[in-house]
Amino acid sequence: MAIMQKKTEQKIAFTFFRSLSLVVVAILFWILGFIIYNGAGVIDWEFLTTAPSDGMTGGGIFPAIAGTLYLILGSSMVAFPLGILSAVYTSEYAGNGYIIRFIRIMTNNLSGIPSIIFGLFGMALFVNTLEFGDSIIAGSFTLGLLTLPLVIRTTEEALRAIPDTFRIGSLALGATQLQTIRRITMPMAFPNIITGLILSIGRVSGETAPILFTVAAYFLPKLPQSIFDQVMALPYHLYVIATSGTDLEATRPIAYGTALVLIIIVLLMNLLASFLRKKFRKL
Amino acid sequence: MKHTEKELLALKEEVSQMWKLVLSQLEKAKQAFLNDDFELAREVVSREKRVNSFELKIDSDCENYIALYNPVAIDLRLALSLFKICSTLERIADFAEGIARHVIEENCEPFSAEMKTQLRIETMFDTAIEMFSDSYEALDSENTKLAGKILSKDEIVDEIYIHSIKILAEAIRKQMITAECGLHILLVMRKIERIGDHCSNIVEEIVFYIDAKVLKHHKNKVDI
Amino acid sequence: MLETKEIHFYYGAFHALKNISMTMDDHTVTAFIGPSGCGKSTFLRLFNRMNDLIPDTHLTGQCLIEGQDIYQKTVDVTTLRKKVGMVFQKPNPFPKSIFENVAYGLRVDGIKDKNFIRQRVEESLKGAALWEEVKDQLKKPAFELSGGQQQRLCIARALAIEPSVILMDEPASALDPISTSKIEDLIHSLKEKYTIVIVTHNMQQAARVSNKTGFFMLGELIEFNDTKKIFLSPEKEATQNYITGRFG
Repeated sequence: MAIMQKKTEQKIAFTFFRSLSLVVVAILFWILGFIIYNGAGVIDWEFLTTAPSDGMTGGGIFPAIAGTLYLILGSSMVAFPLGILSAVYTSEYAGNGYIIRFIRIMTNNLSGIPSIIFGLFGMALFVNTLEFGDSIIAGSFTLGLLTLPLVIRTTEEALRAIPDTFRIGSLALGATQLQTIRRITMPMAFPNIITGLILSIGRVSGETAPILFTVAAYFLPKLPQSIFDQVMALPYHLYVIATSGTDLEATRPIAYGTALVLIIIVLLMNLLASFLRKKFRKL
Repeated sequence: MKHTEKELLALKEEVSQMWKLVLSQLEKAKQAFLNDDFELAREVVSREKRVNSFELKIDSDCENYIALYNPVAIDLRLALSLFKICSTLERIADFAEGIARHVIEENCEPFSAEMKTQLRIETMFDTAIEMFSDSYEALDSENTKLAGKILSKDEIVDEIYIHSIKILAEAIRKQMITAECGLHILLVMRKIERIGDHCSNIVEEIVFYIDAKVLKHHKNKVDI
Repeated sequence: MLETKEIHFYYGAFHALKNISMTMDDHTVTAFIGPSGCGKSTFLRLFNRMNDLIPDTHLTGQCLIEGQDIYQKTVDVTTLRKKVGMVFQKPNPFPKSIFENVAYGLRVDGIKDKNFIRQRVEESLKGAALWEEVKDQLKKPAFELSGGQQQRLCIARALAIEPSVILMDEPASALDPISTSKIEDLIHSLKEKYTIVIVTHNMQQAARVSNKTGFFMLGELIEFNDTKKIFLSPEKEATQNYITGRFG
């Protein structure tokens, strides 16, 4: 009878776990469905390609989409090289001394800092001290710093997932450590690094607080001319039209549309990530 | 004790059983010859079959042990030694049977006591049998010190044999015995001499097993 | 000729190799046997300085290849490793094609001549007795080969840079008996051109492939002699106890 009892226990436990995970999925679908239901109606070609008009109650969100893409690009250019190279250093070269452990703890702490603090820091350093002003470059640096820990950590983990036998095999053939990293370790870790990078892009496109004081414009119907210009950005635009617009009731559909576009961008990024991962894994 | 060691000990035990059997064959053959004991001689002849089947059994056990346990070093040397010792034991038993057959087949008068002492045939028998049982002792106690003793005894046996040719030739010439009977006696003594040689071979195998020294075909094998 | 003189090796405070002096002749196969943790693999890795990769290690004594001390400051480790190839316990081909795996050592050496590389890849695969099996599928990922083929690929990879010494760290312990016997045949044919040092847990394998065998225990070289001598009549009791399975 003990066996029967065990089986029943198992069944109950797994049913419980399964329903919990279904709840998670259900919540996700609820949110998605809610936004699609409310936002899909507003999205059309014009919405995606024109600037807001009539005091934000009409027109599209094109400058905000463009601004978000600029910021993604800019922060990637800051965070990716810096993050990947420092991860290569800490996991491939540096061994496991006190300094490295200190760096690692600090990196983790960095990722625990609230994003609004990054915003304030970015304003103090890039906007004021370095006199970039409210600009793409200031915003990119701020967002870059914000995602740096994520990039470092995922890259480190991707590198650490490569078994040492490959490194040793390469070194034993007379390759230098740099050659080993370039020809063996990095290519092998690449699919996983890509995932980390794209996840960080997802984070960049959704952050509001860091861009609040460094780049985002309340309303700017034209596209930026240089990296020292301000831009609009989707999350900030969403925040603005949802809380402090001229006519909150009238902008509500636009807010849902903006939210949907933001979600679609993140979703596309994730799809791209898994596509690239599969593609590289085949090699 | 390891499983492989048990297997090897069982093999060693079988060889020592065979050894005892061959030893009793030798002693009976000696008695049969010295006392012209027809019955005893027949017994020796009939028991020869048991020795042969013993040999086959040990042969296959050795083969199995080597094939299944892949022995190395001292284990391998023991297995190889036992394999060779076993076939040597069989040869020695053949000689015992041969001596018994002489007893059965010959038609001679029992030869005189004087002749016996002159030929030292009993001493020869005893020495060869001593060599045989000493070599068992050497294997059992893994004592190579006995080896020198055994090998020097072989010289006594050889010496008696060479001497016997002269004595027998003399006796035949003086017609103290018939030529046929003389040859019979010589052939028996020849067999005893061969037994001594084979005991020497056994000793060499034992030394190889214990000390990993190859004594075979060395000139001065006595001084180990 | 490989030679060590009074080698002592430490992992931190742990004394892993104790006063080891020995010589290995050219074109011979030397096998090291001994219980796990006896130092045989550590000793093997001395010869291509793989131990350098482990932090907090320390070496005294001399390790000579062709009379040159490979631990002198003037010696370039990558040059040394091109001369002393190594094959590992688990086959570790790179996630590249069969061809690129073999060509790897040449490419990191800066060789660009395509014909030369192609020729050398073919020679090496032939040398590792793998050519016939893979000649039509050189572009196939190396991971798709069987374990035994992967190991021979790793040997081919080591051969491609024309070493004079090949170190093998339990090269067949992860393989099935048929692949193992292919590797062993290969070792026999390779010794015509190379000096081979092999560490193995399988004593029968040491007996089958090597000319000389060294028995290690607790960081000491207990006995080093002709393989025939070791397996028929070892001089030391410890050696005998180990190879006959009476150890400990």
